[in-house]
Order: sequence, then C-alpha cells, then structure tokens
Amino acid sequence: MNAVTLGLSAGTLFAMAVVFSYILSWASRKFYVDVDPRVTAIMEVLPGANCGGCGFVGCSDYAEAIVGDGATVNKCPVGGSSCAAEVAGIMGVELKETLPFRPIIHCGAHTEDKLHRHAYIGEQTCAAANLVSGIQGCTYGCLGIGDCTRACNYDALHVVDGLATVDYDKCVGCGACAKVCPRNIITITPFKYQRVMAIACSNKDFGKAVKDVCNVGCIGCKACAKACSLFQIEDNLSSINYDLYCQDYSEDLRKAIEKCPQKKIILVGKPTAKHLEETKDMDVPELVEAEFRTTVDDQEWWG
Amino acid sequence: MLNYLIDIFLIAVSAALINNFVLHYFVGICPFVGVSRRIEMAFGMGCAVTFVISIAAFISWAITTFVLIPGAPLSQWIAGFFVSAEMAAKVDLTILSYIVYILAIASSVQFVEMYVRKFYPPLYKSFGVYLPLITTNCAILFACLTIMSNIVGVDDPSAAWDLGRSLVLAIFGGVGFTIAIVIMAGIREELDLCDVPEPFKGVAITLIVAGILALGFMGFTGVDSGLRKAITPAAESQAILEESQPPKIVAQWLGDRNIG
Repeated sequence: MNAVTLGLSAGTLFAMAVVFSYILSWASRKFYVDVDPRVTAIMEVLPGANCGGCGFVGCSDYAEAIVGDGATVNKCPVGGSSCAAEVAGIMGVELKETLPFRPIIHCGAHTEDKLHRHAYIGEQTCAAANLVSGIQGCTYGCLGIGDCTRACNYDALHVVDGLATVDYDKCVGCGACAKVCPRNIITITPFKYQRVMAIACSNKDFGKAVKDVCNVGCIGCKACAKACSLFQIEDNLSSINYDLYCQDYSEDLRKAIEKCPQKKIILVGKPTAKHLEETKDMDVPELVEAEFRTTVDDQEWWG
Repeated sequence: MLNYLIDIFLIAVSAALINNFVLHYFVGICPFVGVSRRIEMAFGMGCAVTFVISIAAFISWAITTFVLIPGAPLSQWIAGFFVSAEMAAKVDLTILSYIVYILAIASSVQFVEMYVRKFYPPLYKSFGVYLPLITTNCAILFACLTIMSNIVGVDDPSAAWDLGRSLVLAIFGGVGFTIAIVIMAGIREELDLCDVPEPFKGVAITLIVAGILALGFMGFTGVDSGLRKAITPAAESQAILEESQPPKIVAQWLGDRNIG
C-alpha cells in the first residue's frame, strides 16, 4: 500500500462517482415522469398514515384515484371533514354535507326486563352464548356479554346493566360493533341530527310472545305508525324510515312517543340543549349514561 | 472453441440449477421470501433481478479487468506516469472491489427504477419497495464477487473469465433466481388454500417450504462434473479432467468472510 495505490483508489472512486452521477442525472431528465401537480398537492394534504381506511392501498394510491379515477374526496377517515374540504379545494369540487354514521342498539331491555334468564357459564362471548338456547327468553335481544365492547377501539361501547350502551361522545362510527354482534341488533344509521329517534327492540314475534320474554319489547301494536308515517311495522316490529326522517315530522314523532305503550321509542345520540328542552317534560326513558372507571383493555385473559 | 462453448454451457447450467444462488448459496433470501406471494410479482422480481444482475456483471467485469486487478491496463497506464513500469504492474486495487461493486449495483438499480417507472408504470407499482431493495440484494453482489474471484483468483491469466463467461454467469444466475422464486410463489399460492396447523402459519411454513425446496435443489449437486464428463469428446475427456480445474467457487475464495 503506497501512495500510488492510495491515489489510484481515490481516483477510481472519484471517477466512478462522476461517471455514475452523470449517467443518473441524464437518466432522471430523460425518463422524467410527469406527475399531476394535483396528486402531489393532495398527497401533502392527506395524513400519510397509509392506513387503508379509504379502501385504497395507501395515501398515494388514494390521491391518484381521486385525480385519475374520480374517487370521492371524503373517503379519508383519519383526516375527516377538514381534510376532505382541502382535497375538495384542490380538485375544485364542492363538498356535499355528509352524515355521520353511528350505531343504534335495537334493544332496550336491561337485566331486570329480560325474562327467563338463566346462568351462563360457558365461554364469555356473545358469539358462543348465541349458539346455546335458554340463556334468556328473548332470542332477538342483547345478550349483554359485550362482544361489541371488545370490538370497540374507542371505548365508546359498554355493557350497562346487561345492555350494550353507546357513548356517542366517543363513538366515531367505524361499525366494528355492528359487524361483531351475533344477533345483529346494532345498525349503523345516518344521524341527521345529534339526537335521533330509535326503536329499542328487535323482537319480531307476536305481542304475546314478546311480553312472555321481555318487559319492555315492541309488541307491534302499530300505535306509532298511526301517529306518524315514518314508522313502518314489519314482522310485528316497528322501524323508522331514516331516509325521510327530518325536522318536519317532529310533531308526529312526539305523538308517536306518547302513544307507544312500551315506551320503546327512544332518543339516542348526543343530546342538544334544544332537544333536551323539547323532551324535558315528556316521559321518555333515557339511555343510561355509562360511567367509565376503567381504561380500555383489548386483551382477554384466561385464568 | 468447443471447449469454450462447453465452459459456457456448464457455467449456465451450474448458475441456473446446480449452484442456484438462492437454494444452494442462500443469497438473495430477502426478495425470495418477501416477494414470493404471487406468481406474477415473483416473475417480475425475477426479471428485474436478472436485468440488474446482467448490468452489474457487465460493469463489474469491466472495472475488475481494466482497473482493479494487478496489471490492469487502465491503472497501469495511469500509475506509469508516477512510478516505474515494474512498480506500476504491481498496483493492486482489488481491495476496492466491495465498494466499487456496491456503487455499480446501486447506480444500475437506480437507473432501472427510473427506466421502469417511465415505461412500465404497472410493473413499477407492483414492485413497490422491492425494486430499491435490489440495491442491497446480496445475490447481485455475490455474482459480482464470483466473477471477480474467477478473474483475480486464477493462477493462469489466460484462464481468467472473459466478458462472455461473466455475462452468462450473471444472466443464468438471474434465471436461476427467477426459477426459484417462481416455484416458491407457486407453492405459496397453493399454501394459502391449505389447512396449515396454527403454530406453523405464516412465516414458519414459508421457511420450512424454502428449506425443503433447497433440499430438493441439493439433489443437483455433482451433476456439473458428470455433465462435463458426458459432453467432452472421449479422447480429450481424460486430459481435460486432469488439466481443468473446476471453476473456483466464491465460497472457497471468500473463506469465512460473511457477505450474507
């Protein structure tokens, strides 16, 4: 190893660096790919978490889909409405108002309302309990073991007194609870207002059979349907047409609430002062607000 | 001439099947496991590696022959300006091999990436992060080092590999890589439909499959010397077998140096 070797080594590497960087810079100009400036701009607006919540592979894929394939601008669940507004600004489209989707639990029976309940000592999941008969009389209602609580990543769902209860302050409407419920009593519903009416029952049996198994179930008496055209009775169960649901029907809806013998038409969602004022002197059963003293724990420990 | 063709043929078969880069030397394992989920992607990856490995082999052969080895024309000529001719003939730059090859590989990968992005956008998309990963693909460095060991390590300068042998090794090494990764992808596609026992799911079964595949390819061992005996004309065969040395494999040359 003498000075010549050293010098030649340095010279070789330097020459290679010069040659390769020349070739690469030539190539980068020759093979330059035009990227739509809007794609770059949208990429900067998007959160860049590549979570796939929009249904595309990643943020860059979604940005290209917006510009190239005309995907809607409001699909990013992480960025939310502010992100959608910015993307809409870049694309020059107008953002229509989107309704938040929130779960509604179509059961209103707490432990004392559920009749014919028996001890269940099997695996403590609703999915398992649902396979066994005789846990409770009602085969439609909430089992209260809390698969939905475990599915919720936002601490927004808790079993309160034997009934799954949504905390609408924390809920983001991801729909995980509705997917996991083995009895399909959770529906993801567009909330046109902070607080909407809901039927807190899923029992499709005749009135007498319902009364046999539950103190508070919907008996299909059609009283609500007579009071307000938003209600439909199907399979002995009342349901609300949320597509038509709006402020115009508030008088009729109030009447329907008064008419309901089981008091199973309830208001769910975040209460606004106006709505509370409206409903303050009515005999409407309120959902119990859950108290959370524990943190969320996804783990299931088996002892 | 015939001997040269036989040599080329044996290098090709050896690189592609017998001494398969992935399944015999265990280099290039990361894309072998990482991109072998779907056959199309695996094939694309194999083609990209073959392409890059050829370019890298060409560059590294040229640099090794003209710059790095003792008595290389270019370094000898430049050194001639500063020292005497005998001193200049002794200048040995082979210590630069690793860094020079890495530089050459990285640059050619960068070049390929730009080229593919311009002319084959769907391929570019499906490669994703794996195309830049070829930069650090040991299979390519391994090919470069094999070529170098067959230029530097031979005693007789006339037996040193020429460009033809080097390119054949590189291209068929790439073909062997493609064969291995496509077989692997085929098995893994079938594996998706299989009822794999819970503890073996995912990475575990993949590695087991790779091991069994390597075991299968080990069955080719020794085929190259048999082939050489079979295709060499009978009269010459004895003489050639006595004279010729098997191509020095890089594992010998590297000793216990770990390039993995």
